[in-house]
Amino acid sequence: MTEAQVISHEKNIYSPQRMILKDVIEETSNIKTFVLEPEEEFSFATGQFVELSVPGIGEAPFTPSSDPNVRDEVEITIMKAGRITSILHDITPGVELGVRGPYGKGYPLDEFEGKDILIVGGGGGLAPLRSLFYALFADMDRYNNLVIKYGARSPEDIVYKRLVPQWGERDKVDMELTVDKGNDEWTGNVGVVTTIVNEDVPVDLNNAVCVICGPPIMMKFALLQVIDLGFAPRDIYLSMEKNMSCGLGKCGHCRLGPYYVCKDGPVFTYDQIEDLHDIFD
Amino acid sequence: MSSTEAFFIEKSRVAQWIGALMDDYRVFSPVERETGEGEESVYSYKKLTDPADFSHAPYRPVEPLKSFFTPYLEKVADYFGNGDIAVEDGPSVVFGIKACDLAAHKVQDYVYLQGVEEDPFYRIKSDNIIKVSGDCTGFKEVCYCLAMDGKPYPGAEAGFDLNLSPAGERGFVVEAGSSKGEALINANSELFAKADKDMLSEREENRRGVVESLEKHLEPQKLPSCESLQSLVKGGMDSDIWDKFVITCVECGGCNFICDTCHCFLLSDKKSDASNRKMRLWDSCQYKNFATVAGGANPMKSRGERLRNRFLKKFDFFVENMRTPACCGCGRCIEVCPGEIDIREVLKDLK
Repeated sequence: MTEAQVISHEKNIYSPQRMILKDVIEETSNIKTFVLEPEEEFSFATGQFVELSVPGIGEAPFTPSSDPNVRDEVEITIMKAGRITSILHDITPGVELGVRGPYGKGYPLDEFEGKDILIVGGGGGLAPLRSLFYALFADMDRYNNLVIKYGARSPEDIVYKRLVPQWGERDKVDMELTVDKGNDEWTGNVGVVTTIVNEDVPVDLNNAVCVICGPPIMMKFALLQVIDLGFAPRDIYLSMEKNMSCGLGKCGHCRLGPYYVCKDGPVFTYDQIEDLHDIFD
Repeated sequence: MSSTEAFFIEKSRVAQWIGALMDDYRVFSPVERETGEGEESVYSYKKLTDPADFSHAPYRPVEPLKSFFTPYLEKVADYFGNGDIAVEDGPSVVFGIKACDLAAHKVQDYVYLQGVEEDPFYRIKSDNIIKVSGDCTGFKEVCYCLAMDGKPYPGAEAGFDLNLSPAGERGFVVEAGSSKGEALINANSELFAKADKDMLSEREENRRGVVESLEKHLEPQKLPSCESLQSLVKGGMDSDIWDKFVITCVECGGCNFICDTCHCFLLSDKKSDASNRKMRLWDSCQYKNFATVAGGANPMKSRGERLRNRFLKKFDFFVENMRTPACCGCGRCIEVCPGEIDIREVLKDLK
């Protein structure tokens, strides 16, 4: 009476796709970018996340940082923060990793069309934003001005130091950096990111959206700042961080009020979540 | 088929029917467990090997129905083998399900069969398991289904494949709720007769009797109404009652594991020489690190916040998302709790 029924890899929502780790790029003292080659073409929308597995050890959620238009390579930028990320930071190219996903709703680029876009990033929050930059750069005719404000703890902590200069030089792109604490070589802004998000931001508030991504405390204050500037809650896009696990709205870990961050987010407009309790806890 | 069509099986023929089912299915039924003198009887699921062991329990068994659908630990993926997973399963008939379990099962179906994607493991179980419910003929001290807008017997839309209602000492009125259930009658049609009017009115009388005595039992408890629960729990967000009730919580997770609506799970890898695998196991929001993110930030640091989470999930999240609270009034969480935290008392205090 006991029969074996087979669930194929394609039908199995928990079965990871094999990817080979091609390269590891050191970005800062605690952030590395992992370049993965998928076995089959892999596509994602900017802002969606994946579950990255170290086989036999476990998985954790990350948002790819690479260009969503590239299908044969995926880059994930990872800060050493917990158990899985510490193991990842010790591995070398050639290893097989697993990827499930992509999951959730990313940035609704259609909503950004014809508008100015203010992006406020902090620390490791630049990783998911990088993939958004590429998605926007690929189609800049659709958008007005892109204004990027990014804050890091120190000059050394700036992610993508190798890429940032060329981003700022692009047409219609205005990028400004700041660090909490400078050093002898640093000649730029010093202060938290909210100090460079002010009335002088070159966006038309009547026709602009704002994207905020970074550590919770930075998001909290950047949010207050852009509300103060006059952005409407429905025009503010927040990348919420929770411990997403299954990615499918089933396992229950990432509840945020009536939502699951994994399927209803991770990108939310502020008007979706402004009435919820302690969203940045 | 019409949902009002009902059959009748004599008590003396039940064992023959169960025996016939055992040829084709694994058959589970609650059986009475030994209890101390003066204690409430307790029923627990058993895979039948002897048709004579079948019993019609007066109320719900100890185990939640979900334990047939999502085992507490199962392999859900192999890394990079041929990628296919073989699930050893076969057709089962589960007797002894009560209306509360069926109500809770709708929450499980919502989680696993709907949403972004269907869960293929749960789908196999759903296809293989035939759910046979039965009217309650009594209730436990902890039962409060009426307060959750439930009944101690299932309505036609409750989701059973078959339902058994005792008709005196003579036998059972059997109602089919699906073609799967109907097939179990048809395959043994010589054992069944059409239920007559008297039998049906006897069923109604029995049902009314149980409702009345349960009402009498619940009346002094003064539980808040079902439709008030969402606003009570949300309104109690900053209340100090969570910290007050949680004092005796030992974070065992029993309330979640025994709950027939709780569904949270953890995906965990297992290393082995043959192949690395991904396991799924039940998880509990009462555990300290349920919501902890990498780097250690935890939005539910205190036990009080985690108790509140359990209530918000049941009475806010599910009401928002599926228009029903994730509580069926079975009282299992009350019985299991070593800290004697009583969900009824928490809800009353919020009022």
